[in-house]
Amino acid sequence: MARQKKIARAPESYLPLPPATFQILLTLVDGERHGYAIMREVAERTDGAVRLGPGTLYGALKRLLEAGLVEEGGERPDPDMDDERRRYYRLAKPGLSVARAEARRLEGMVRAARQKKLIGVEPA
Amino acid sequence: MRAAERVYRLLLRAYPAGFRAEYGREMVLVFRDRRRDESARGIRFWSEMIWDVARSAPALRLDAFRIRWEEDIQTGEEKMRTMAILAVLIGVTEAANALAEGWAGGIANGGFWLAGIILTVVAGTLLVVAGVAMLRRAPGAVPSARVAAITCLTVVVLIRLVDGWMSIFGTLLGIVFPIALLFFLWWTRRRGPSAPTMA
Repeated sequence: MARQKKIARAPESYLPLPPATFQILLTLVDGERHGYAIMREVAERTDGAVRLGPGTLYGALKRLLEAGLVEEGGERPDPDMDDERRRYYRLAKPGLSVARAEARRLEGMVRAARQKKLIGVEPA
Repeated sequence: MRAAERVYRLLLRAYPAGFRAEYGREMVLVFRDRRRDESARGIRFWSEMIWDVARSAPALRLDAFRIRWEEDIQTGEEKMRTMAILAVLIGVTEAANALAEGWAGGIANGGFWLAGIILTVVAGTLLVVAGVAMLRRAPGAVPSARVAAITCLTVVVLIRLVDGWMSIFGTLLGIVFPIALLFFLWWTRRRGPSAPTMA
């Protein structure tokens, strides 16, 4: 099992999150997932713009587990796939706070871009 | 499929052993899933896999190294002893080197020349005293090591800047070791009460 330790940091202290890390947290908001399900969902949500390789995915998950933002949810086979046992991951409470904080940060950036008319206006 | 998996298992050797033990099986499963689900299996698939390893493995290796270093520091009596012995050896070498270079260059080369030699000998002696204090775990060993390192660094830099008689060997020794010693002392202090405290 990966080392897990309690979070004692403010959510904002983790920001800005690397895009892959935010995508993983975003995926786990809906419930626990195994590695490949996370990878597939991220690729679908971003229309293939963010494609996590196994190393990037498990490297990020390892760091999230160590920071106490994600928890392991046990091992079991995925009924929709083969009968290999897969390790599931779920969002811990501090992970949800960090994901919210990052979403707010990104929202602020988008708002600023809109005010500068970088987005949200039809090109002439 | 089996051959591809074998190749991927070989690629996984780029990751630290601990990470492989923890996540290797999962990564192979994900690799297998992607091979099964994706139509792109040729060069694009493999270039993505290789790029993924090249991008993530060095950072994880660095993480593993940092963790190992921190754990070593936490139980780092051995490292403290090594630094103390190095301080003694380098202090002696620095002092002897200054005397030898001063002798070879001619002691009567001027006031600053002589002052430089004397200061270097003093700095070397301070390193020796600090090293011995660290070895004996004497109270005040760490502050004295800090003073010795700063003195040595200042003297060597001043000599190089003002007169430049010191050899490259003496200069490197007198700059690199004090910086390493200061970094080591700062690091052990930063580790908190679990760090070996000699003061």
